Amino acid sequence: MIPIRCISCGKAVSAYFDEYQNRTVEGEDPKAVLDDLGVTRYCCRRMLISHVETW
Amino acid sequence: MVPEGLEVREEEGSNMEIHVQKKNEIELVFTISGADMSFVNAIRRVCMMEVPKMAIDDVHIIKNDSAMFDEVLAHRLGLLPLVSDSESIDGMILPEECDCEEYCPKCSVSMVLKKEGPGVVYSKDLSSEDSRIKPVYDTIPLLKLKDDQEVELEATAQLGIGMEHAKWEPTTACAYKFYPQITIGEDCQSCQKCAEACPRGVLEFDKKSEKIKVVDELNCSMCKSCFRVCESRTIDIGFDDTKFIFTIETDGSTPPEEVLIKACDVLSEKADKIIDIL
Repeated sequence: MIPIRCISCGKAVSAYFDEYQNRTVEGEDPKAVLDDLGVTRYCCRRMLISHVETW
Repeated sequence: MVPEGLEVREEEGSNMEIHVQKKNEIELVFTISGADMSFVNAIRRVCMMEVPKMAIDDVHIIKNDSAMFDEVLAHRLGLLPLVSDSESIDGMILPEECDCEEYCPKCSVSMVLKKEGPGVVYSKDLSSEDSRIKPVYDTIPLLKLKDDQEVELEATAQLGIGMEHAKWEPTTACAYKFYPQITIGEDCQSCQKCAEACPRGVLEFDKKSEKIKVVDELNCSMCKSCFRVCESRTIDIGFDDTKFIFTIETDGSTPPEEVLIKACDVLSEKADKIIDIL
């Protein structure tokens, strides 16, 4: 499960997780998706980019 | 309020100027000029640490069949941003100020989560007894349930301040920086190297006047990339220590301007207390 908030700044990044996952699986560029979702800081971006959903 | 014999001085605050640069539901960017760093820093710290907001504080787990531990689930619930603008939390008081024994409607809001698997449980599945105080985002995944698994719990949300726990911090990014001062000297060769070197698009070459122009001063991070590539040493990056760019970004629970207003109230309350003691 993705952490609810960004570990560094506290932005609620998990709210964007499902949309990010669906769109990147469909082949969209992660950079474009993050920009579109308004996840601007690199601390929040790494939360989504580096997350591996295991169970 | 002011005791006799105490002189009230018209502070430098009288020539303080504020301009809003950017404003939306979660972010507020403004410039303050004619202010002191200590004053701006006081506002920043109060915004982060002493503006109350709602967060889940107590979780009573009745049933949890999922692979997630009760403690982890309770922690995740605590971090959920709950709507806490002044309209929604009107009449709500801090638990320390309440005279009830444990929980009462004046100081707490109860929420229930009941869901059967299979599937992902989202923040929207949390039903609150108060229709106004609910999770800001509906799409936050809380836990996953497999076939025949169930989760049932009761959570209590209370007001609190960031000083006690980060879940009560209304702000995410709350910071200020000096206002950049970019000076381009007379003997500029217009080699355009500085505009190319700038990673943030602050400088641009104006074809008409054939000169380098500052197009986006607010975006300058004072990295001095332009200064380093300038062979004629005509460009210089400095800062104005009485002018600040202040950014408040919230987690969505409270509008940023409300955070600022409440922070100023807290600060003036503190100042009043000092005057009262005198």
